[in-house]
Amino acid sequence: MIKRANKIKLMHPEWGRSYSDMVSNEFFKSSINIASLVFIIFLFAMAVFAPFIANDKPFVIKIDGVLKFPLFASLSGVDYSTLLAAIVGVVLFLLYRRNRKRVNPSIRGALWAKQVGIGIVVLIVGIACLIALVPSKLDATDYKSKLESKEASFAIFPIVPYGFERTSICEREQPPSKKHWFGTDDVGSDVLCRVIHGSRISLSVGFVAVGISGIIGVFIGAVMGYFGGKVDFVLMRFVEIMMAVPVFFLIITIVAFFPRSLLNIMIIIGITGWTGNARFIRAEFLKLRKQDYVQAARALGLPLHSILFKHMLPNGIAPVLVSATFGIAGAIFTEASLSFLGFGVAPPTPSWGQMLSQGVSATGHFLWWMSLFPGVAIFLTAVSYNLVGEGLRDAIDPRLRKAA
Amino acid sequence: MSEVLLKIKDLCVSFDTDDGVVNAVDGVSYELRKGQSVAVVGESGCGKSVTSLSIMRLIPSPPSKVLGGEILLNGENLLEFSEKKMHSIRGNDIAMIFQEPMTSLNPVYTVGDQIVEAVERHQLLKGEAAWAKAVDMLKLVGIADPDIRVNEYPHQLSGGMRQRVMIAMALSCDPKLLIADEPTTALDVTIQAQILELLRDIQKRNNMSILLITHDLGVVAENADYVVVMYASKIIERAPVEALFAAPAHPYTKGLLASLPVLGSDKERLETIEGSVPDPLNFPSGCKFHPRCSIGCKDKKCQTQEPPLIENGYARAVACWHARL
Repeated sequence: MIKRANKIKLMHPEWGRSYSDMVSNEFFKSSINIASLVFIIFLFAMAVFAPFIANDKPFVIKIDGVLKFPLFASLSGVDYSTLLAAIVGVVLFLLYRRNRKRVNPSIRGALWAKQVGIGIVVLIVGIACLIALVPSKLDATDYKSKLESKEASFAIFPIVPYGFERTSICEREQPPSKKHWFGTDDVGSDVLCRVIHGSRISLSVGFVAVGISGIIGVFIGAVMGYFGGKVDFVLMRFVEIMMAVPVFFLIITIVAFFPRSLLNIMIIIGITGWTGNARFIRAEFLKLRKQDYVQAARALGLPLHSILFKHMLPNGIAPVLVSATFGIAGAIFTEASLSFLGFGVAPPTPSWGQMLSQGVSATGHFLWWMSLFPGVAIFLTAVSYNLVGEGLRDAIDPRLRKAA
Repeated sequence: MSEVLLKIKDLCVSFDTDDGVVNAVDGVSYELRKGQSVAVVGESGCGKSVTSLSIMRLIPSPPSKVLGGEILLNGENLLEFSEKKMHSIRGNDIAMIFQEPMTSLNPVYTVGDQIVEAVERHQLLKGEAAWAKAVDMLKLVGIADPDIRVNEYPHQLSGGMRQRVMIAMALSCDPKLLIADEPTTALDVTIQAQILELLRDIQKRNNMSILLITHDLGVVAENADYVVVMYASKIIERAPVEALFAAPAHPYTKGLLASLPVLGSDKERLETIEGSVPDPLNFPSGCKFHPRCSIGCKDKKCQTQEPPLIENGYARAVACWHARL
């Protein structure tokens, strides 16, 4: 492991270095952590820009001397919302870094709260407007044939010029070739295109499911740990009941009753997976509530929500953050398993697990390219999330690494 | 004499443990006047901290329970207040500083953030004004370069500075009563002297009362006006500080004072009180101090009957069959 020198230069050395500064400093010392994080960012970029990377509509096409932009016209409100969310996220991240370097800590907190607030408002209003305003129209024009038949004189296509919904009888089950880099599946869709679009499903399942389980787990764990006594006893028995339920079979049962939708899968993974988080937070809070600074916060007459979520949570969140990164990998696996078994997202919406299951075609042939590429995608995603989680754990508590 | 700020009457607090009920505080009464410093001394586990936490209503319940008594602040019984009303009392009327300055500040926020939160909660100051107040408070408690320190995290400060920050935080809302639970135990002697002097200064300036909980008799002699000595969850003696140090009445107090080293004396060994603190689950009968007392271990009355706390009218009281005031 290459150790990097402390590269974060402080513009104002007299400002204190916060805990998060130190953790991020420690995290970025390891090149494995950086590589994993870069890969995850790359995955996110791929998910956000999927329609621009793999699409059968050209960016620009000149038909009868008129320039048209079919790709942008065909994007739905959801696609634009994803883009908007990504932009807001990146802007907030840059603002956060700028704040840390240039803004005095005394006003930093208030400024950051204001910036995040504006960001969220922009996001909500933007998504509402985009979904309401952007018309969803079906554009079934085959632009490629237009180019071939010289109807159009000029066009720029994305790198992978196929849509994930494309079917082609004559190009079924083809191994990787120059035309289809990752081959085609049993209905003639381009596998590369479907792998790229499938990243959207996997990443959103991971994030939303872990988000739901994190929020429920933190809340219940905080209540258990802080109040203790009877509250703790009752809730802890509930947690134990939840843990005794075989989650995967519960999910399969529920999925069998409810319509097959991505949202349902995310919610089910989320509401069955919170028990671990609740126990982590409970353990931390049991330890923290005896801490002098929590007593001091109570002695200052601070309200309960401030004590729980402002003073205790940041000190006890580390194990949950670490387990969340593992949880994302776990949720991706669960979604892949469900889709593999045929309970997941319905085709033509692509998902990695579902593609994996199509590796053995209806005719009984084993199509190696159909299993290999989505499998590698799942593997790499899970590995990089796990590596980030491990790096985060070591950065948060360097003593753990020595013990391990 | 100034008026009474805090009056504790017959306070009884018990803890439910796996082995039985423990009376941590048993019929404790004392009062605190405006601008006065009262020291509560006693061995570990004698109930002095539980008393102070009861005043703040911060004892964990369950396992602990206030069985009876009154805690009157300006004549109002704190034990009858709603939790919501207590929130406005804590930090505003009564503030507290803790024993361990190393762990009493939240490591994830700058010291400024923490003072500002208290100020914004109890005073009508927001944003920049609250920050200005935080810097003022740090200046008041004698921290050099307060406008730089205000942006630092607790781990960047020394123990003494952290305790100053704690004091600044506690005093930021001008409390009428400051409970200092062993404020100097974790500090070295020079810093200890500075912190105590600081407390005395601020007390004079703000006419604030201090309830000082300690087991350091040197600190008591320097800082307190009045002393309450507790032993095995009861008050065994209370007296003005000069009177107590000049003529301790209870054998336990005598023993405590005798165990202090005297500068210049060529004693080989320090005096001790024989034995150790009784198990709170299994207090001895009669006077709880009798097994360790040179008179009590021979006297039948001491072994069977518990002596009441008898006042003599000069603000002194003692609970001993053999004490003469």
